[in-house]
Amino acid sequence: MRLRVRFVFVILCCLLAHYGAANVQAQYINTKLVEKKVTIRSAIILPAKVEITKESAKGSEMMVAESADISSKVMDAVGQVLQKKKISVAPNLFEATAMDETRKYTLADIQNRYDALLPKLINKSKDIKKARFTLGDEVMLLNVHKDADVLVFIRGQGRMFTKGKTAFSIINIFSFDFPFALITVGIVDAKSGEVLAFTKPLSASKVLKDPKALSKMIEKSLKKLPAAA
Amino acid sequence: MSLYFRCEPAGTQSIPSFRSSNSPTIGTVLKHKRFFQIFILTLSIVVSSLPISARAPRLQTPQTTTAEQVSGEKFTFGKVDLDLLSEINLLDERFEKEGAVYHDPGLDAYLNRVGMAVVSGKDLENVQWKFHALRDPVPNAFALPNGSIYINTGLLALLDDENQLAAVVAHEVMHVTGRHTYLRNRSVRKKMLAINIINTIGTWTPIGGPAGLAINLIATISPLMLALSVLGYSRDQEREADLEGLKLATAAGFVPDGMPNSFKSMQKDIEGEQLGAPSFYMDHPKLQERVNYTSSSIPADARKLSADEAKHAQDDYLAVMEFVDRHDVDLAINEGRFRSAIYVSQKLVNLRPESSENLFYLAESYRTLGPRNAELTTKQLTSGAKKKAAKTLAKRTLEEIDAELLKTPEGQEAWKTNSAKSESLFLRALELNRFNARAHRGLGMLYERLNRKPDAASEYAKYLELAPNAIDTERIRRRLMVLRESMQQ
Repeated sequence: MRLRVRFVFVILCCLLAHYGAANVQAQYINTKLVEKKVTIRSAIILPAKVEITKESAKGSEMMVAESADISSKVMDAVGQVLQKKKISVAPNLFEATAMDETRKYTLADIQNRYDALLPKLINKSKDIKKARFTLGDEVMLLNVHKDADVLVFIRGQGRMFTKGKTAFSIINIFSFDFPFALITVGIVDAKSGEVLAFTKPLSASKVLKDPKALSKMIEKSLKKLPAAA
Repeated sequence: MSLYFRCEPAGTQSIPSFRSSNSPTIGTVLKHKRFFQIFILTLSIVVSSLPISARAPRLQTPQTTTAEQVSGEKFTFGKVDLDLLSEINLLDERFEKEGAVYHDPGLDAYLNRVGMAVVSGKDLENVQWKFHALRDPVPNAFALPNGSIYINTGLLALLDDENQLAAVVAHEVMHVTGRHTYLRNRSVRKKMLAINIINTIGTWTPIGGPAGLAINLIATISPLMLALSVLGYSRDQEREADLEGLKLATAAGFVPDGMPNSFKSMQKDIEGEQLGAPSFYMDHPKLQERVNYTSSSIPADARKLSADEAKHAQDDYLAVMEFVDRHDVDLAINEGRFRSAIYVSQKLVNLRPESSENLFYLAESYRTLGPRNAELTTKQLTSGAKKKAAKTLAKRTLEEIDAELLKTPEGQEAWKTNSAKSESLFLRALELNRFNARAHRGLGMLYERLNRKPDAASEYAKYLELAPNAIDTERIRRRLMVLRESMQQ
């Protein structure tokens, strides 16, 4: 009897995991954008930092090369979505090989400022609407093109399960241990550093392997972002 | 930890129903199943508790057979170790690419000299010794198993002399030569597998009665015990690296006191971050413990520095680190570690009180410190106060904390003191070098915050005149424009 109840619970959990966690969207837009006090016409995408790990029954392993690869894919996907919204996207200004040490340091410092703010953006996302968060006018140190309206910060993490881990996660369903991909996109005013928009779509980890699914997820997550025209 | 669904209290009703069952086969099967579960549980715990060997696990195909003498045991690379190594090499490249490594020809040469003296020609398979400064104001250092040793600028700025630096390097070198990362990785993998098995058994055990309760209890407790044993293993490795590192640094000609003194330097809780968690939750031994056991392992007749020698050693080290320390002050300010910025820039001013540049850094630190006190008080250093401050920092932005502090009399008093100090230091820096453009910029920012708009505008204009091609020209130009607009209104 007890086993039967457990099986029913497992099936329910599987269904929930499939339909519920498959694609959870969350987007927060600053009122300045909503009320059109600020319009985004051009954007600069900063190098994305998406970390993925391989989870096996014996623990997690780093996937440094794959993380770099998926980071550039996410950057492309975000770029395409912005262009669909008629926001022009400048070509990658931060190619590591093309930067001198000083520029690398400046970029790293701005990225660190964003990383320090990120937990607050995730936990108190609703406050973005109230214009609570800013990176300060230090963002201007990046000296991006004068016409650039916003800087786009992309962060993410994902877990890919091996077959063994998948088996364990299914058998041991109550540990609620599932593969996932969480991408966050922060859109920041290029002059004042104010956070104008933030999204945190959560999806099953298949988006890490399927570029189309990834694009779709990003597109959905930026649905509320006003178009330039 | 296993989280399992339970539809009745700890299985007290299940066993009688099995005993009175009309089908003896089910009872027999479950009885065997119980033994099987207990057997698997015991096996998992025993296997995961076995000591980790430096040899490659038997099930893995050894890729290379060359090994070196490590702690009296040969280390053979298995597939898992080589996979880890290739990821680590990529990580090394990524640090460079992302601008995390601080490059300065003088510093690179210095770190290499100290590092190679400590290593003293140790050739190890899959190890290439490299010594780097990492752009991070948090006092820390770490070693990658491929021989890359990273010392944060925050730690370089906190240390007092070359002997302490050599001690830090020697500690990290011992992690590499002891193959600690590989061994810990093997240990964690084995324990994670055991945890997964135990969790699964705990989740699915259908047995009630005392046996079921025992299985559930073991399944609940043992993953925690295994997780704690990973931390315990890590603490053992740290202790080994401390003690062996001390011998290594001494053999390389450095003063052995450098090791306990480096821990003493790290004990300065400038930012109030050392929260004093129970030692079994920590992956490193407590700092005081490390000071004690390294101090007691130094022979009584070991070389010691006289007061004069210690002063010289300190000045020599600070002279080498001057540029790194300045860079670290910038990093500390960027990351909101204002008290660390004050500490390091004060060191710089003590080294060269007539340096306009060093005075600028101290002035900048006081300006950004805002309504905080420069040093934490005894009350602020209590465990409860530190936890509360950490919680506030997690919830509030630095600007919000500033605004809240400014509403209090203490905050207002601190801001009054800090702004006055900052102004006098900026002015002194300009007195020593009137072309110090950044001092004009800092003064402008200070006046802007003090709502002295005409003064701020004048200082910004001077900055733009002196440094027309600086990295932040556009930023200051924009500030000046906004200021002028607000003055016209």
